[in-house]
Amino acid sequence: MKREDLKEQFYDEIAKCNRCGFCLSVCPIYAAKGTEWATPRGKNAIIRAVIEGKIDWTPEIEECLFRCTGCRACTQTCFPSVETNDGILAGRTCLVDTSQYPKVVNRVAEALENDFNISGDPNEERNSWIEFLRDVPDHMYQREKARVIYFVGCVAAFFPLVQKIPQSFVQILEGAEVDFTTLGGEEWCCGFPLIQAGMTKKMEKLVEHNQQKVHEVGAETVVFACPSCYHTWKERYKTDAELLHSTQFMERLIDEGKIAFNNGFHKTVTYHDPCDLGRNSDIYEAPRNVLKRVPGLKLVELESNRQLSVCCGGGGDLEMIDPDLSSAIAQKKIEEIQRTEAEVVVTSCQQCVRTISGTARKRKIDLKVMDITEVVLEAMKS
Amino acid sequence: MERESMVDELAQIVGRENALVSEMDLMLYGYDASLYRGRPDCIILPGSTEEVSKIVGFAHKEGIPIVARGSGTNLSGGTIPSRGGIVLHFSRMNRILEIDTENQRAVVEPGIFTLVFKNELARYGYVYQPDPASEKVSTFGGNVGENSGGPHCLKYGVTTNHILGAEVVLSDGEIIQIGGKALDNPGYDLTGVFVGSEGTLGIATKIILRIMPKPEAVKTMLAIYNTLDDAGTTVSAIIADGIIPATLEMIDKLTIKAVEESIQAGYPLDAEAVLLIELDGIKDGMERLAERVMEICKKNNVREVKAATNEEERTQLWAGRKGAFGAVARLRPNYLVCDGTVPRTKLPEVLGKVMEVGKKYNLPIANVFHAGDGNLHPLILFDERDEEELSKVHAAGSEILKLCADAGGTISGEHGIGAEKMKEMFFVFTPRDMAAMRKVKMAFDPKDIYNPGKVIPEAEA
Repeated sequence: MKREDLKEQFYDEIAKCNRCGFCLSVCPIYAAKGTEWATPRGKNAIIRAVIEGKIDWTPEIEECLFRCTGCRACTQTCFPSVETNDGILAGRTCLVDTSQYPKVVNRVAEALENDFNISGDPNEERNSWIEFLRDVPDHMYQREKARVIYFVGCVAAFFPLVQKIPQSFVQILEGAEVDFTTLGGEEWCCGFPLIQAGMTKKMEKLVEHNQQKVHEVGAETVVFACPSCYHTWKERYKTDAELLHSTQFMERLIDEGKIAFNNGFHKTVTYHDPCDLGRNSDIYEAPRNVLKRVPGLKLVELESNRQLSVCCGGGGDLEMIDPDLSSAIAQKKIEEIQRTEAEVVVTSCQQCVRTISGTARKRKIDLKVMDITEVVLEAMKS
Repeated sequence: MERESMVDELAQIVGRENALVSEMDLMLYGYDASLYRGRPDCIILPGSTEEVSKIVGFAHKEGIPIVARGSGTNLSGGTIPSRGGIVLHFSRMNRILEIDTENQRAVVEPGIFTLVFKNELARYGYVYQPDPASEKVSTFGGNVGENSGGPHCLKYGVTTNHILGAEVVLSDGEIIQIGGKALDNPGYDLTGVFVGSEGTLGIATKIILRIMPKPEAVKTMLAIYNTLDDAGTTVSAIIADGIIPATLEMIDKLTIKAVEESIQAGYPLDAEAVLLIELDGIKDGMERLAERVMEICKKNNVREVKAATNEEERTQLWAGRKGAFGAVARLRPNYLVCDGTVPRTKLPEVLGKVMEVGKKYNLPIANVFHAGDGNLHPLILFDERDEEELSKVHAAGSEILKLCADAGGTISGEHGIGAEKMKEMFFVFTPRDMAAMRKVKMAFDPKDIYNPGKVIPEAEA
């Protein structure tokens, strides 16, 4: 992207920033760094200065713009709702075009180019999480036609720590007798990491492929346990299929009486709203409605919940680009969780699970982190 | 002194990671929430009083200007490094050092957000009364520097009434204690001199605050008026009756329209003005007091008074006031918040003249303000990128302050003088008045390193 395009697309938006500074109060990067460059206001000012030709892209600007989790708490708190993250992502695109970006991103971009997933493993291994399941049907959750597609997402498919999510979710779907399939090795990355990396152009091939697969399967509904896949599909994909997050789909199944809670879940839990599900997709109640229906489960809210939820530190490719910063943000999240005195923190995003539990483990903090699908499955068991 | 060697020296005090000097950083610490710009030579993030003392000592020796700042929410350009030098950003010194409910005192570092402290205090059932609109991010260092206000200052007083003392680093790097936890401190009232000095006399590194138990009861009312005059007269009449509400806020027609278009607070679109009146105190007698207020509203031709009967309704009534700036900000890209004060009885007259200024310059002006204090906040709406419009905004802002001064008021209610209103100081002070202020400045900062070029104009008009 060129400076002129940046100007055309973002000058009016950025000009709405009156530098009032309210965004400082909610920005997790600022909370961790305490410098003006870390603030959304500062990032607006940088984009604006670039547009006005007052500053050139520098290594410091690269470092700055690639440190944003995309949580959009700033826009939430901003009087004129300046879309700072959109400007930041466009800025990243400009930086990529001048070859100024964290080179660690190349690894993911290459993996997506060659293997269509972020891990760089052969894409046929997307279903490796199935190996740990018992009583798997012969079709291995891969059928030619189905009414529902469960889009697993790269992280949950390849990272052992969160493979429990697809393992749990397929059992829930089976239990509820849903006519569903996964795409197995034919599922390609949704493109989310490329948007965050400022390499949006490279995602076209992925989008087209995935859209085509939905068409071939003839699915009416695509379900995602990953809020970022869900959000990316909602924003960037063209499909007639209904797009739902797992929490919405489970809420529906519960309402239809298709999920029976034999066991319940007898613990006090708190719920962390993932940014891409809550603020960015406006889904706050579905996960809570699911949790409230689980017998024995007591829900206590975090101090900052729903629209005010504080990012776990895992968004915006930050965990890849600056793991220490990501972990510093997660540490603050963990402290907030601990203040609730809940026995378990439940979320509905594999990335949040990874960031929070990863930091807890590294810092030797005893914290039980679960995805909502794990909680539901446990409550269903007899 | 060469920038590089300056930064080397300073980095030895605070560590390299807390000394910022890139082009990007210099640009980013050149603004605040005002329309002014500057450019520092470096930015330092100190971590302790001792570090601040060493930095200031060094700057004093070398004659380098220092501007201390927190979140940079300043509306009058007070945190702009107009003459370069060092910007001290206090984000690392953000701890609550003590909450002493028995003695109703607390001690904080300058970099803590006001609301973070207030939320912590709420756990003890206590409040810190000043509530600047920017309290989400405004820091105590800034509150002290600007002598910040807010809606609740009508009843409880502005920041200076809640600051009992501080640890201060003087311009030569010496550390002193002013005031203290006691209510009445012997000797000169340096705390009084210091609060509101906009970073020109010293830098606070610890601040002693007055805290109060949360009021037992609160009653919130929304009074709707067909004319601005009636709303203005009601304000004076309530105070004249001996009632001091916790807040008494006025919102005008343009703001109402903007509020209803964005957040639907339930304000009637055809009203000329609404008053948001809140009483607080002990439970007994609260209803009777509220009735007296409603009676006064009726005598002054109120169209309707809505009283909140529970917390939810209270939040709803406040939603319009709290969302007002946001709503107005949607109308044009930028807004200038003017800040002037007039005697309450002159409110209707001055408001009318303010609107005429808007017409003269062809600039929309919305009003949301602390009516009880007579503290006007006309919001001039414009697009900063349009230079011609920007110069009209500056001229209109100055004219509005002149109106306030001529009506027997003054040129700042709570935002300070900063870089913005220096020439307007002549509207309210004689050269002799200002010479006396300059003597105070010279006594504390003879080398003029603390926030130079602010508050007191150099040339006499």
